[in-house]
Amino acid sequence: MHEPSSGARTRPGRRRARLREAVAGYGLLAPSLVGIVAFLVVPILVAIGLSFYKWDLLSRPRFVGLTNWAAVGTDPALLNSAAVTIAYVLLVIPLQTVLGIALAVLLHRGLPGSAGLRSILVLPWVCAPLALGIVWKWIFAPTDGALNALLGTSIAWLSDPDLALPAVAFVAVWSQAGYVALFFLAGLAAIPASVLEAAQLDGAGAVRTFWYVTLPLLRPTLFFVLVTTTISAFQAFDSIYAGATNVVAMQIYTSAFKTFDMGRAAALAVALFVVLVLISLAQQLYFRRRITYDLS
Amino acid sequence: MTSASRTRPLADAGTYVVQVAAALLTLAPFALSVLTSLKAPVQFASTSPLSLPNPVTVENYLTLFDGSRVDFGSALGLTAAMVVVVLAGQLVFSIMAAYAFARLEFPGRDLLFWVYLATLMVPPVVTVVPLYLMMVQLGLRNTFSGLVLPYLLGSPYAVFLLREFFRGIPSELTDAARIDGAGTWRTLLHIVVPLSRPVIATLAIITVVTHANNFLWPLIITSGDELQVLTTATASLQGRFNANWTLVTAATTVAMLPLMAVFLAFSRRIVDSIQITGFR
Repeated sequence: MHEPSSGARTRPGRRRARLREAVAGYGLLAPSLVGIVAFLVVPILVAIGLSFYKWDLLSRPRFVGLTNWAAVGTDPALLNSAAVTIAYVLLVIPLQTVLGIALAVLLHRGLPGSAGLRSILVLPWVCAPLALGIVWKWIFAPTDGALNALLGTSIAWLSDPDLALPAVAFVAVWSQAGYVALFFLAGLAAIPASVLEAAQLDGAGAVRTFWYVTLPLLRPTLFFVLVTTTISAFQAFDSIYAGATNVVAMQIYTSAFKTFDMGRAAALAVALFVVLVLISLAQQLYFRRRITYDLS
Repeated sequence: MTSASRTRPLADAGTYVVQVAAALLTLAPFALSVLTSLKAPVQFASTSPLSLPNPVTVENYLTLFDGSRVDFGSALGLTAAMVVVVLAGQLVFSIMAAYAFARLEFPGRDLLFWVYLATLMVPPVVTVVPLYLMMVQLGLRNTFSGLVLPYLLGSPYAVFLLREFFRGIPSELTDAARIDGAGTWRTLLHIVVPLSRPVIATLAIITVVTHANNFLWPLIITSGDELQVLTTATASLQGRFNANWTLVTAATTVAMLPLMAVFLAFSRRIVDSIQITGFR
């Protein structure tokens, strides 16, 4: 980024030009700056403030100190939602990442028909997660659902506590693996063929080439995919709404708009935000420490 | 890559098997739910969920639009209006901000850009409760304005994506325009925007998909039947007619159909768009 050049040549005309540029800059920036401050920065500050109050929207907000924060660490319902969310993330992220890489490798072979498959795989991405969640709720329905009809069983997929979470995680992987694969496909396309040929000339087989050459070169893509998908998995709500699995986002929603405990919802939301920032930082540190390759 | 594959028939066959399986697994839920939506409730109750509709009926779809339950006609209209307004606002205001960050010099620019970057991290789930309270204060609960206002003025993500692209435009082009006497606005409209069509198209696709499918905010800020978008209408129909799967799958089909149509028209463009956003 270049600083404005020093004032050595400052003449009235130049100063006026610079002033004009600054006015234009702020003028262009003004609407989005208002939006970002009003609808992103202020809400975070309000959420932090609100987390120290008890408020049901009807009576006056009452200052309660750290009560809501203590609840975040002790309330069984909240701790359960944290555990469920972590289990969900740990199921979804590794599965969809590995599957995404595998699909990308196959697509990268560029056989005829690959373009069509690529399009099909993105189809779930354009669909509302809420609608997909409901479709899958029907597929998983115990008596008249498609899956039990297919298997000849009558399993209560979504109400059995042992099966509900894997089922919901499966739906997430189903809907996102293709989308994730596209990023890895772009990453694979960026690897120069000469690098892979060199490995093969040195006698490395397909598996070794993939493990020691391709995968390390995919690291920037892997970083991007892991950060973005982990952040969104921690916020899963839409696709789970119909199945009513107790994830953190669902707790925030019910605390605020079903039991009207705004302070508790705010504390939980801020806690989630802090966790997400920490996870992103940890991922950044991890990937920073690893070697990155410059192939340009 | 094709030269290598031509010599490995076994690997090719394996690749095809997996690819076909992946395609079928992706498409099956859509196909099954559309088939169910075309069945009469009587047939659905009496035959296997996997049977073909016999006779094929559109009565479930008619029910969605006759206004007797949840009014999908107005939900469709409201969703379209919301997406158009948000898209226009986001494109205009994000392009303006991105240009200021990419090409103009003014005090505090880098600090402000850092603020934009920091807000990229803010998850929607965290801001909905305060946003709801703000909209209540402004008297905008359950109004169209309340539905679109938080997204209307641009998004940090859009500004970031566009700024990266604008910085890649050769400065000779914008300098030449300026020397010819074009002001900031003319340079932006006649040089920068036309050169940035691919990234603007990418952003438009992402914005349409994100906002047409948004559920949490409409769920919170609207109430009752008169101001429903496709997602909230589908959720409320599912809540009220839970086991009525022929009707519910018709609703999910209607909720997904508009974007699927867009998708079929632009599938190549969309696939490319997703990949562009991966390069940061």
